[in-house]
This record gives sequence, structure tokens and C-alpha cells, in this order.
Amino acid sequence: MARVRAPERPPAERRSRSGAGAPQGAHEQARARYPDTTGYVERHGVRVFYEVYGSGEPTLLLLPTWSIIHSRFWKLQIPDLARRYRVVTFDGRGNGRSDRPTTAAAYAETEFAADALAVMDATGTDRAVLIALSMGAQRGLLLATDHAERVAGAVFIGPALDLAWFAPGREPVDDFLDHRDTDEGWAKYNAHYWRRDYRGFLEFFFSKVLTEAHSTKPTDDAVGWGLETDPETLILTQLAPGIGKRDDILARIARVKCPVLVIHGREDAIRAYAQGEELARASGGRLITIEGGGHMPNARDPVKVNLAIRDFIANLGRGSR
Amino acid sequence: MSSGRARLPDETGFAAGPDGVRIAYEVFGAGDPTLVLLPSTPIVHSRQWKGQVAYLSRHYRVVTFDGRGNGLSDRPTDPDAYREEFMVGDIERVMDATGTDAAVLIGLCGDGVWRAIELAAAKPDRVLGIVAFAVGVPLLTPPHPWRVQWSFEDELPTDEGWAKVNRHYYRRDYPGFARFFFGEMTPESHSTKQVDDAADWTVDGSVEAMIADAEVEQSWTLESIEETCRAVRCPMLLVHGSEDRCQPPSRARRLSELTGAPLVVVEGAGHMIPGRHPVLANLLIRDFVRSLSSEVT
Repeated sequence: MARVRAPERPPAERRSRSGAGAPQGAHEQARARYPDTTGYVERHGVRVFYEVYGSGEPTLLLLPTWSIIHSRFWKLQIPDLARRYRVVTFDGRGNGRSDRPTTAAAYAETEFAADALAVMDATGTDRAVLIALSMGAQRGLLLATDHAERVAGAVFIGPALDLAWFAPGREPVDDFLDHRDTDEGWAKYNAHYWRRDYRGFLEFFFSKVLTEAHSTKPTDDAVGWGLETDPETLILTQLAPGIGKRDDILARIARVKCPVLVIHGREDAIRAYAQGEELARASGGRLITIEGGGHMPNARDPVKVNLAIRDFIANLGRGSR
Repeated sequence: MSSGRARLPDETGFAAGPDGVRIAYEVFGAGDPTLVLLPSTPIVHSRQWKGQVAYLSRHYRVVTFDGRGNGLSDRPTDPDAYREEFMVGDIERVMDATGTDAAVLIGLCGDGVWRAIELAAAKPDRVLGIVAFAVGVPLLTPPHPWRVQWSFEDELPTDEGWAKVNRHYYRRDYPGFARFFFGEMTPESHSTKQVDDAADWTVDGSVEAMIADAEVEQSWTLESIEETCRAVRCPMLLVHGSEDRCQPPSRARRLSELTGAPLVVVEGAGHMIPGRHPVLANLLIRDFVRSLSSEVT
């Protein structure tokens, strides 16, 4: 009887050894709440998949974040929020059931914003409260300024806005397309590494997103969603136009007229807490700090986040701004 | 999907059965006593205890193993390999391979509970105590009617409901069987994760192993089973859900009468108490294990 040391971490497909069963994960995880309607919008040949839940007031538009994951990242918000409000969400182009266009220009922030408007049109949504995570803040800001009449309020969770350095300990990515001599740590943020070991990148990245203890489940979920797209698509998203530099962003924030709520984890290792702080200050919005929280408080502190969204919406009705 | 674990094993290995079947085990922690968490095999594998391992191994030494027919253990397709003597013997072989003289056995349903009782009756020196979830002692009281409504062997006119527990349906849609079965086993609200997990572990296994296991002919009678139960001398704790759709709660009550073991009925709970009510299950196990040491005279 052999005794062997345990591996550092279990092999990825630990239990699939017989080949007799169906592939693991071939079906989507069961959901606590299924959409009432689903559909596609199409713009310039790119199809984007959306879902609608519930029928309350107002409508909340749960925006896509970086296409490394798709709309299931809102899984802990949808069932709760849809009991009170109408919830619309969609898979950002590049992941989920949406298309994966093959040019960088197709992943411009303006394209994501235009997709959001197309989804609002298709679902008969004149105005909505925007809920954004991370990169969602950039398209959210475009909507709240260039299409202010359609935005009743905006909630930014862990906003990814280049108002301050990424995060303490996070290294620069100017050589994203160059070959590097190491794969250690943030050196994994590199096109060549993504092509070589996409899963390795996903596991590294989400270990930095979900820094809280007891995060194995949301980490598994996020890596799984990441594997639903591919490195070439993600590389294109890195080369696409954003919303400008710090001054451009501050100028845009100054144009925001709707009420704003910012929720940011104090220990966010992807996008510094300082980014959320400055967004709140510059927009006159409220800042809720998740002490000890990382970059996905919606996944790790869902009750706090859901209740904060509920309070924010309750106060919208009072028109106190 | 791969699965991150809250706690990785400190040691893994294989124990070999007399018929050459390899049994994969894992050891966690170094406390005392050793708890052996028994597999509900071949329908699922040792990850069924994921809600227990991380907690219990902080206090005790925990041994788990994949039963023959699933996980990393071998998957014979000959019904002979699933005879009771092998299934009970595998517990002892894993204890031998991990240097475990005696242990508290923790089991769920017939695969765990009944085999723990058989081992405790035959080898009392090796079993310090038993925690029995979903008390699956065969024949003790009549089964739920839906469990015997349909033939396992015959082609059926329907695939609805419990007609899915059928060898032909298994081969047609094994994942469909698994999702149905674990939906029945976990009737509590908000159980999508537990159902998904269990159905995945079923699909990890082998439909032919499941069919082979179902073909084993048992020679039990009610009398022989009651006699075995009465022969157990170690302390036991019985835990049963009021809404268990696999094992009738009457079996737990009857075993409690036969042995004097205390019975905890969890109101509103289904069959999968360790998975669906992990904190309750873990605290019951901890209190039971503590009570064992205080009984030593």
C-alpha cells in the first residue's frame, strides 16, 4: 500500500478518471432564480445576451465588468434584488452567451455603453439604476454622463478608474505584449503568459480579487467563468480604448448628476480603495467601506452589498440630492 | 469544474483489497481520536464530507476514503466486487493502511451506517463509537412506498419521478437520475449548491459500478439484522431528518429502541444532513466524540 504526500493543490480534474461519466461542469450550476425573459440585441453584427428578472420598480441594470467573467458574477444579487425591483443584466461582449468579436476596437468602453443602451431599448427600459463592478464603472460613467436622462442613479462597486495607482503591490503592465523572463506574481499579467497558461493566469488573478479567507467557492466560480472565454479575446480587451486618463475621468465625474453610491473593499488588491474614495468625493456620492474586503464584495459580502443597494434605492425616491 | 478545497489532505494513499481493488484514502489533521468518514458509494465519493473535513480535522484526525466504484478508487463492474464483505472490509483496510487501530465511524444511510454497525458488531475493538446520519439499516421497518414502486430491472413505461431509479434509465441519462435523486434527497429550500455537488460526484463515478452494486444479492433477514444491531457495544448517536425521503424516520426510532442509542430528529431536514446542515452535524459529532472520552473509566 503506497503512501504519497498530498499534492500542493489537487489536480484540476481530480475526479474525472474513468471517462465513463459525462464531463464535469457540462451543465450550468443550478440557479436560485431563473430569468423571466431572455434575448439578444445585435449591433454591427455582434450579438449580446440579456436576461430580465422580476417586475418591480425601478429597473436595475447590472452592468458587465471585464469580460474575464460574465453576468453570473451577479448571482448573489439577482435573486434578492429581483424580489423588489426589475433586474436586467447582460453578458459583456467577449464572454458568456454574447459574441466574441475579433478586433480590439469592438471592446472599446463606448461599445459596452452602447450595448447597455441597446439592452435597455430591447427590454423597454427608459431609465435604470446602474450597478457596476470594477471595469463596469467605466461604461457606467459614460452612460451617466452622455445619457444622463436614462440613469436614475449609479452604484459603483470596487470601481476600476485610473484615479490612483492600481493597488499597493500591483506592478505596471506597460510590457503586456512583450516577452518577459519571469511568470512570477503580476508578471503573469502578460499576453504571452495568458496564451501559455490561461488557467494559471485566472487562478492567480482571482486569488488577488478574492483575498478574503474562505473564498474557495467564489474563486472556483470565477475561474470557471473565465474559462468560458479565451486568452485571445481577453488580450483584445486589453488593447481596446478606455475612457481616458485621470483628468478626463475627473472631468467626466464632474458631469454626473444622478445620485452615486460607491462600495469599496479596504483591502482591494486589484483596484486601490483610493480609487473608490476619490470617485465618491468627486461625485458627491456616499462611500461605504467594506473593512477587510477585497475586489468582489458583491460575492464575499453579498448581504451587505444587497442591503446597501436597497437603501440607496429607497433614498432615490426621496429626491434628496 | 475543479474545486478549491477549504482544507487539503496531509497524506493520501491507496489501500488494496484482497481482490486487488485499490481504495483511495486521505488523512487530515493529527488530533485524537481518529474519525473515519465512510463513503456512500458508489453513488458519490468522499467529497460528500466537504462540510465536515475542514472543521473536524482541527480537533481530530480525520480519515476519508472513496468507496470502490467512485472517486479515485477502482471501479470494478463485476457485482461480486460489491459484496458486503468487501465493502465492510474496505473500512478495516483503510484503517490498517493509515495506522488506525480504532476509530469513531461516521456514516450516512445504508452505505455508511449499516456497514459501521456490521463492523462494530464483528470487530468491537476497532470501533470507538458511531455517528449515524439518515439511519439506513435495511429491513428494520418498511421502506418509503415510492422506493419500491418501480422495478429496478425492468424497462418501465415512464421516466417520471422514482421511475428514474432503474438500470435502463441510468444508462440513458445518468446525470438526469443524479439530479432527480439528490433533489429528492435535499428537499430543503436553498439547496441548489448541495444538489449540484452531489449530482457532479455521481457523474464522477460510473454507471456500470452503480448497476453492479445494485445487483448484489443480500442474504439478510429482519432477524439477522436486529441481532447484529443488538450486538453493538460502542456508543452510538443517531441523527435523522423528519423529511428524509430515502430512509423512513421509523428506522431511526427502531434502531434507537434496539440499541438504546440517543436519536436526534432534525425537523424539516431531508436525507443529506451533513451536507445541508453542516454546522449542526459538526457540533453533534464534536459533542458525541467529547462524550466518549468522558466515559473512559
